Amino acid sequence: MKEYQPKILSGKPAAQGIGIGTVWILPDENKAIRPEKIKKNEIEKHIKKFESAREYLTIEYEKIKNIPADYELAEIIDAQIQTLNDPEVKLSIEKKIRVDYYTVEYAIFSTFNEYIQLLQAANAKWANERMIDVVSIRDEMIEATWEKKKDFDVKEGQVVFATDISPTNMVKLSHIKISGIVMKKGGFTSHAVILSQSLGIPCVINANWDRLSLKKGYDVIIDGSTGQVILWPSWKQSEEYRKRRLDGLVRYEKALEWAQKANRTTCGYPFVLRANVEFLEELPRLESHGAKGIGLLRTETLLFEAEEFDVNQQVNFYRNVAKASKNESVTIRLFDAGGDKILENSDFESNPFLGWRGVRMLLDKKDLLKNQLEAIYRVSGEFPGKLKILIPMVSRLEEILAVKKLCKTVQRVLSKKSVHFDEGVKIGVMVEVPSIALTAGRIAKHCDFFSIGTNDLTQYTLAVDRGNERISYLFDSFHPAIWKLIKMTKDAADRHGIPVAICGEMASKPEAAACFLGMGINDLSMNTASLPAVKSVLCSHARNEMEKLSADVLKSEALKEIHELLEPWRAI
Amino acid sequence: MVSQKVTVKNEAGLHARPASVLVKTASRFKSEFYIRMYGYEVNGKSILGVMTLAAESGAEMELILEGPDEEAALEAIVKVFENKFKNEL
Repeated sequence: MKEYQPKILSGKPAAQGIGIGTVWILPDENKAIRPEKIKKNEIEKHIKKFESAREYLTIEYEKIKNIPADYELAEIIDAQIQTLNDPEVKLSIEKKIRVDYYTVEYAIFSTFNEYIQLLQAANAKWANERMIDVVSIRDEMIEATWEKKKDFDVKEGQVVFATDISPTNMVKLSHIKISGIVMKKGGFTSHAVILSQSLGIPCVINANWDRLSLKKGYDVIIDGSTGQVILWPSWKQSEEYRKRRLDGLVRYEKALEWAQKANRTTCGYPFVLRANVEFLEELPRLESHGAKGIGLLRTETLLFEAEEFDVNQQVNFYRNVAKASKNESVTIRLFDAGGDKILENSDFESNPFLGWRGVRMLLDKKDLLKNQLEAIYRVSGEFPGKLKILIPMVSRLEEILAVKKLCKTVQRVLSKKSVHFDEGVKIGVMVEVPSIALTAGRIAKHCDFFSIGTNDLTQYTLAVDRGNERISYLFDSFHPAIWKLIKMTKDAADRHGIPVAICGEMASKPEAAACFLGMGINDLSMNTASLPAVKSVLCSHARNEMEKLSADVLKSEALKEIHELLEPWRAI
Repeated sequence: MVSQKVTVKNEAGLHARPASVLVKTASRFKSEFYIRMYGYEVNGKSILGVMTLAAESGAEMELILEGPDEEAALEAIVKVFENKFKNEL
């Protein structure tokens, strides 16, 4: 029997959970439709096909609207329904069939293409995004005219691989109880991702399997919390993930009960768990999952949605977030674009992770930075003492000084305009480049707090691009060097009396969180889904156990040793 | 026939979501609805048509309504522009 070697693909985690099953591939959508003609006596048949396709899709879209998701999604779907029933589209398609004798497929195809061209010519930034929706309506409508519809032979428990998934297909898939979704494309705000989150289907995006010659029926495991996809898993891997999935479900149920308990270890040592937040839709989870405010507010989405770029829109966003975090603080990370989140119009960089990103980009685009600072300071007046600013991708002291100078400028401008603001907004530095961790003592003199970003710190310290499948196994935040850098940062911060928080993925792992508490770092921020599990572990141990754990971890020489030490802490 | 000039007041311009709100309002009325801008005319009940105008903030356009409920329709649509396309909810 031929033995397949396990293959690991790395994508981005988009919806939590572990999916185990076999591969099912969603066929790619259209294709160029040729301008074929019909005979006069076929006209009515083609008109009727168009009518029923339109009705069928409208009903399908109405169904999606009823799925509990979010308001924004409902608005997008409303626009899709309006597009389906657009009177001008209807006229054009009917004319192409009745007058030009085109097939219904081509009538639909060319009508939508005309609009797509007009939108392209309009050259508006938002038009690009909507074009994708128009293309998907076009293809869905063409498909709906086919007598023999593409059958979904996907079965319960399979993992769906797709280039991209349209909202209607997504809903069809959800009825089948699939185990997971892997997409080549897809953004965190795409319909498919929003839906998979609200339906609880594990999802990985930006995973490219082109080189794997994937076939239906292959065994596969996906981990929606790390973005890993394991093809042909070994027996051992299957067992491990099966156990992890079961444990995860049981633990999650149990852990949610912890959300409302006090944040204390068994010996009474207090800690703070906060949420990493990017979208307003996540805010209701702060309370249900027991987060004390927001330890990391990502703001890049504002940048990508060019339409929401101005100061007022930002003010609204920050205000909503500040309101939702009640009396707790909100740490706003300045735009951290670049690298994997490449900006439009930016030049191609051969090494984007070592390139023009974070504070480097912001200091080149001072207007952008000033706008953001102005928005933050404007909101700060309404919530004194609550907002904090976090500077991303700092690699040298000068960058901090430059941002602080700009903060002063913005403050002066606001004072002149008699806008009330909080003069005491704390300014912190992301510790994610080793140069900062190594000189943390000198940096600490010039900022109010540190927040450690463990993902980037890991990739820059270990020289591993986690997106590169061949070496992604080397990406391991539990490497002794990472613990050492974190300890150095904490010691330096203590000497200068500034607080340290962790906002990277490590904080979301209970075993690492326990170790951080042992090191005296008791301010951790993570995605809301991880909060209950982390809290349950921290609440059920004493601090001296954690101190022993961290002392042992810091002494360890080998990675394996560290993993063995941490293993028992993975759950209560 | 009634008509009125209006200005796009929201910061982001007449993009997809505002277009959706506009079309939704216009579709409640029987009257035909056209938008004229830069000598270009589109059906105001066609979301794709409205989107192709790509009207930015500050753009001026003429609303033209013709039909049994043209007065009421014009009033409602002008209000949508004044409210910066906020959804009526």
